[in-house]
Amino acid sequence: MSFRKRNIGLSAGADRAPAPNTTTAQPEQASAPPESNPGIRPSPDDGRPTTSTGSLSLDNLLAGHGGLPIGKMLLIEENGTTDFAGALLRYYAAEGVVQDQKIHVIGMPEQWGRSLPGLLGPADAGDEKKSDRRKGDRMKIAWRYERLGEFGAGVAGSRGWSSPTRRNRRVRGTQTLTGVAPAATSGDQTMTDGVQPAFCHSFDLTKRLTHPSIANINYIPLVPSNEPLFTSILKRLQQVISQSPPNTAHRIIIPSLLNPTLYPPETSQPDILLPFLHSLKALLSAPTTRITAMVTIPLSLFSRSSGLVRWIEIISDGVIELCPFPHSADALGASGAATSHEEPPQGMLKTHRLPVLHERGGGSDQNIGQDWAFTLSRRKFEIKPFSLPPAEGDKEAQDGATSGGMPKKADLEF
Amino acid sequence: MPAQPPLPPLLAPYVSALPPSSLTLLSSVLGATGNWLILRYLYSALGAPTGDAAFGLLGGESGRKRKVVLVSFLRGWEFWRSEAKRLGLDLARLTDKRQFAFVDGLSELFYTPATLPPSSQTTPTTSGPAPSRTVLPVRSQPGPVPARGGPQPAPAPARPTPNNPYQRVQQQSRGPGPVKQLHLTGTGVQALDALENDISSVIKQLKTPVTPGEEEPEILLIVDQPDLLLAATGPAKGIGATEMGEWIMGLQQNVHATVLALSADSPLIHNAAESAHQPSTPLEMESAAFAIGSAHRAQMVLQLRNLETGAARDVSGVLRVSKGGAWGQVDAGAEDKWEEREVLYFVQRDGGVCVFGRGE
Amino acid sequence: MAPTSLSHRQTHNLLLISKLLGHRDTASPLTLLIDSLEQPATPLIKEYIRRAKISKVHVTLIAFETLKPIDGVDSFIFARRKNPSEIAKEVGAAQQKTSTSPSTRRLILIDSINPLLRAQRANAHFHLPTFLSSFLLPSSPSAPKGDTSLVVNFHQDVPNPPIRSPYQPSPLSTLSFLATTVITLHSFSHILAQKAARDRSLAAPVFGLAEEQDGVLLGRLDKPIGNEFAQGIVLEMEHRRRSGRGVLEWYLLPPASSYPPNQLKEIVTLLDDHPLYRPPEDPGAQEGEEEPQSTFELGLTDRQRKEREGVVLPYFDAQQGNGPGEGGRILYDMGEEDDFDEEEDEI
Repeated sequence: MSFRKRNIGLSAGADRAPAPNTTTAQPEQASAPPESNPGIRPSPDDGRPTTSTGSLSLDNLLAGHGGLPIGKMLLIEENGTTDFAGALLRYYAAEGVVQDQKIHVIGMPEQWGRSLPGLLGPADAGDEKKSDRRKGDRMKIAWRYERLGEFGAGVAGSRGWSSPTRRNRRVRGTQTLTGVAPAATSGDQTMTDGVQPAFCHSFDLTKRLTHPSIANINYIPLVPSNEPLFTSILKRLQQVISQSPPNTAHRIIIPSLLNPTLYPPETSQPDILLPFLHSLKALLSAPTTRITAMVTIPLSLFSRSSGLVRWIEIISDGVIELCPFPHSADALGASGAATSHEEPPQGMLKTHRLPVLHERGGGSDQNIGQDWAFTLSRRKFEIKPFSLPPAEGDKEAQDGATSGGMPKKADLEF
Repeated sequence: MPAQPPLPPLLAPYVSALPPSSLTLLSSVLGATGNWLILRYLYSALGAPTGDAAFGLLGGESGRKRKVVLVSFLRGWEFWRSEAKRLGLDLARLTDKRQFAFVDGLSELFYTPATLPPSSQTTPTTSGPAPSRTVLPVRSQPGPVPARGGPQPAPAPARPTPNNPYQRVQQQSRGPGPVKQLHLTGTGVQALDALENDISSVIKQLKTPVTPGEEEPEILLIVDQPDLLLAATGPAKGIGATEMGEWIMGLQQNVHATVLALSADSPLIHNAAESAHQPSTPLEMESAAFAIGSAHRAQMVLQLRNLETGAARDVSGVLRVSKGGAWGQVDAGAEDKWEEREVLYFVQRDGGVCVFGRGE
Repeated sequence: MAPTSLSHRQTHNLLLISKLLGHRDTASPLTLLIDSLEQPATPLIKEYIRRAKISKVHVTLIAFETLKPIDGVDSFIFARRKNPSEIAKEVGAAQQKTSTSPSTRRLILIDSINPLLRAQRANAHFHLPTFLSSFLLPSSPSAPKGDTSLVVNFHQDVPNPPIRSPYQPSPLSTLSFLATTVITLHSFSHILAQKAARDRSLAAPVFGLAEEQDGVLLGRLDKPIGNEFAQGIVLEMEHRRRSGRGVLEWYLLPPASSYPPNQLKEIVTLLDDHPLYRPPEDPGAQEGEEEPQSTFELGLTDRQRKEREGVVLPYFDAQQGNGPGEGGRILYDMGEEDDFDEEEDEI
């Protein structure tokens, strides 16, 4: 994989200072053998390696990187007693299995791995169909979401490599493009048939995943031993990671952290929990490993307004909160769909922190400040902009407006 | 939005002139982190062109060399190195030139991989990499360095070039050398003392003149999120807000000026207030006491927060600069000539920052 | 308030604050300063030191927060990591060393008591009253009985340490019970903003931590005020005399830049005397009660008002009870300016 080379170009290009001290003698690292890394591709934003979360629209949400950057930890918080976050974790695990990455599951029995959703195929294929459909429907989408329609098929789509950084505002756009070109070509070289390997797949929650590498999942049970629980977890993680081949990509999955049915009560002490998460972060950000992690936590037990949860969030690289709608709100849900043939949203999704973007200082992402709604269907976890529906009975006026002279987007840009 | 220099003019007076033995508090929240501002401090102290004496750490004594020690508890060396590169600062080269030192409070603070030989803490004086190093499982295969790391800079001419470039890489990023790794062992004041000694020794190393007769340099110490240390230990481990405050004071004694970056999220500050609706946890109490106590001790408090009106595409957050509790304690002439103000900032994708007033 | 009592209060209370800040006559052995981030006590502590220097008082600073000695401090005790007993010992030693004459007056400042109250090391046997009184009482019977006053600063916005015993009073209660004088500091601009809101019957604004806004520690911004007269510190003083009577007064301490460091004349004023807090009555009255303009004089002179009050109103006469039909007359004595008209004004 040659994204390393690209990164050289990028970081040198990002030198904004007139200073002459830009590294003149960059040691050539091109000697590194080109290798194929299934499921890892450079971010269209800055070239760092990313891997898919197994859910296309979650990939797209992650600040323009089109996936979860390697070395980052994503925290998914969920209100209520639903298990949407668990579905996201299963997608994440299934994607890892399909991409032959090493999965580490903490605190779950092997049954968990057997319930991973079945593979349907590359997510892009399904997406292509969808975007065709979308073209037909586009006039029915409220005009102000028109440009967001791209969102579903954004950077993580099949065009991710060749049409990078639609929203890249760098002046050196050309440089970026030239930086990508070799990556793409070398990527093609590694492919015998010239077809890009799928980055993200779509899965069917009602089916069961069958894949040879599913047996390789590393289950780390929460069993009491003579050393502190988290220390033994870390030790086992460390052991397996260090014994695996050096290029292996790892995924660490921690479902329902601190859930009292899984974790002993003392683990919610900050002086026990926070060192563990801090060490996990250290493990992830070690420069010689390729690890991502996804953690879920039940917010009904540990409120976001508590200092402990805030510290968990500060340690995490990305923080996403799921607020499912109550079941009784079916009526609202039905009308809350952006269009009549889209499924009603099942809850709100808030992004509190996004990997890389926020540790750099935040801002400048088009997805920031949006209200998101999510819909979990059999085939996918979809995130889309949330809007309150137009008042009932206004349908005709709406239809008339869409067919008639809707002002062009450009005219109404604010 | 027009491009601004690496150190935006509106920001310069707050970042560049730090009075002697002062404490500057930099508070951030979850959605508005302060790393970009720390980088501005680095740039102001290390990166300004030599001809521009006005940006000196101390205008009057600009003859003295400025050096920086960065202690980071939440970000590793790779992050700081690559982010500083975007500003045109080559931290690895500056480390080799002994103008900068990084103290790593992330990698092995709480958990040391058992496979690491304890001797890796000593600073090597020779180039010979320990042969045992290559059999360590974690770093056994030189393998590809992830793109994140990017290439390591050319070795300093002072040191013999290791024949294996990967060894060199490992030395830089994980092993000894410029990057000192902190370990927390034990409890209470003793544990803090050990950390303090580690950091102080790095400061001392940087202070000792390269050539005899050289004037002692001014050291700027930046401590990034030591509140993690407090949160992850707490009164149960004999470390409270007072102990942390005294730990910072101990570090302050060795350096010219100190910048302290803390989290000031509402749950960590306001839950402990008397008006809070629920009883507060020790974590919240100690965090609040540490942050507020530090603000009392600081000459300048830079507060970062989200925009009240919700996120915007061209604004990353709000920066408010206020005079801290210790402002005016020492009659420092020119350094105190700054105004409290509130500005908006925007971190661009290329790492540049725009700072502007409301409505500009 | 009658003008005489105001001027009495003025002279009396200004004399009192002079005594307190200047440590004359051991007016207050233990003074508690309660500050916050919105108005730190630093300027007031510097004022204490300035006055002590003028009157040759020996100043000791026990520094829990301060790194470097403040100008004018005679002995600087760096209290980092020290036990209460060690601190007391050091203070005693420093005084012994410097006490040349037995009558030396001493001022001991503690820059912040909070770190000590929260310190883990002090948990076991720390007793606040004993610690404080150890400075006030001579260390040994033979030691000269000095004239010592102690000024302790307490940050009220730092959370209280966890309660050790639920039946014990909080440290702040203990401190304010022990203190002979309690001075709470406020920022003048905030006091003005709160007064302006009160005058309009609005809720008083809060600043800084009290706003409970994410990421806000300090609310102060000196720029938007833009009014240099609004600088200064408001001191809310509560003083207990030996007689048991309490005095409560609000003062204004102007910023240090507004007077020379060796100024002897009292610079503290009553808050009520400040033109921004209480604008002068006359212009206010004129602007406030503007009457409709007309060609007639609708007001009354003093004499007219007095005479009107002298009029016996008809119902008083009616109550005399001279029988039905009697009483209720208008009793009126003609004045010289009355123009009696025989035809109209028939009695």
